[in-house]
Amino acid sequence: MTTRDIGLVALFAAVIVALGAVPAFPLAVLPVPITLQSLGVMLAGLVLGPKRGAAAPLVVIALVAIGLPVLAGGRGGLVVFAGPTAGFLIGWVPAAFVAGLLAMRLDRDGTPALVRALSAVRLNALTRPLARGGTGTVSRLLGLIAAALIGGVVVDYAFGIVWLAFAAKIGLAKAFYGSLAFIPGDIVKAVIAALVTLKVGDAYRLDRR
Amino acid sequence: MIGGIGADGASPLHRLPAGSKLAGLAVIATALFFVDVPAVLAIAAVIGGAAMLSTGRAPARLARDLALPGLAVVLVGLADVLLVDAATALVAVLRLAALLFFAQAVTLTTSTGELADTLERALVPFDRLGLLDAPRVALTLTLAIRFVPLIGAEIAAIREAQAVRGLAGHPVALAVPLIVRILVRAEEIADAIDARGFPPPRGPGILADRAAPSPAVPSEDLPHDHP
Repeated sequence: MTTRDIGLVALFAAVIVALGAVPAFPLAVLPVPITLQSLGVMLAGLVLGPKRGAAAPLVVIALVAIGLPVLAGGRGGLVVFAGPTAGFLIGWVPAAFVAGLLAMRLDRDGTPALVRALSAVRLNALTRPLARGGTGTVSRLLGLIAAALIGGVVVDYAFGIVWLAFAAKIGLAKAFYGSLAFIPGDIVKAVIAALVTLKVGDAYRLDRR
Repeated sequence: MIGGIGADGASPLHRLPAGSKLAGLAVIATALFFVDVPAVLAIAAVIGGAAMLSTGRAPARLARDLALPGLAVVLVGLADVLLVDAATALVAVLRLAALLFFAQAVTLTTSTGELADTLERALVPFDRLGLLDAPRVALTLTLAIRFVPLIGAEIAAIREAQAVRGLAGHPVALAVPLIVRILVRAEEIADAIDARGFPPPRGPGILADRAAPSPAVPSEDLPHDHP
């Protein structure tokens, strides 16, 4: 970690905290508040890359542990880790890591395999503009969305659901169905994170590490 | 800056060293996960509640502190009653309540500074093994706390600039300039920290290796920083 890396990790951790102050939109009756903080986690991974990206939510978790009210709704302290939804918080670290790792691999020009496959099955009206018109931008965007989804949704939910199943003793299947209500919001956040990263990359050369 | 939850006080729990309290909490939390007897869990919850009340915080404020996590526990209990059975719900609710009470008791009696110091001390073994750099970790945490109001000010500045140009608030339109500003600002911050001679040269006793390289050899050239 260079001094610049320390600054970047601290700044992105602060972004995750600051996004918790943006009013949350309540979605369901389940005990996970829908907030923009997971958007900050996805952005940390997509912009900074796996190692520094994972360090940012790790810093936030350390701040929670030392009792600062840095989570959405002013939550903080060791109480958070005793809660049934702590897995979604812990999962931020591997989520940002995976999103960063995939962003390194997938954020590049060229027709993605998915678009090529769709073209092969003659969905031309849909895929021709994707494969041709974007000249790389669309494929980069799709790659970033995939990175944000797999990291920020699949990985984070895997941790959150397993933790919820054990802490609340409701079993994996019920924990899984109970968590489904939050997925639409997280998909929207993944698309926003990918769009933001794409545009930031146009203005500033990202080097992911 | 943001204030911590931990309050001043002179209760027995306040006087206990932070490291002991955290170790005790870890032991209790682990033990509770292996207990399935409602009576034992109920006793643990009562002891936890007593520990929380012994901190001298007004019960009304305690209730407010625990409203959000308490709601989560209640919802879990409801889910268990509806999906599994009442006995499972009782065990889950008692265990989570006991955990909440003990954790809150530790948080209320330990200042953020104490916890940060404990964290830094806990990191020293990893530092000795060369896995991480405790002063850098401590600096990162301190900077993150300092940067929260800075990010808030950046967001306000960007919103104002866009409002002046008649642009409506849109998450992408807000986040893009924010992230670019952050990336640029990280350079300025790094220059400012480097100019102040961080990291400090390592004295004997902190590290076994007394011939640790002076800051003239930048540690960013260490191979583990590069994939």
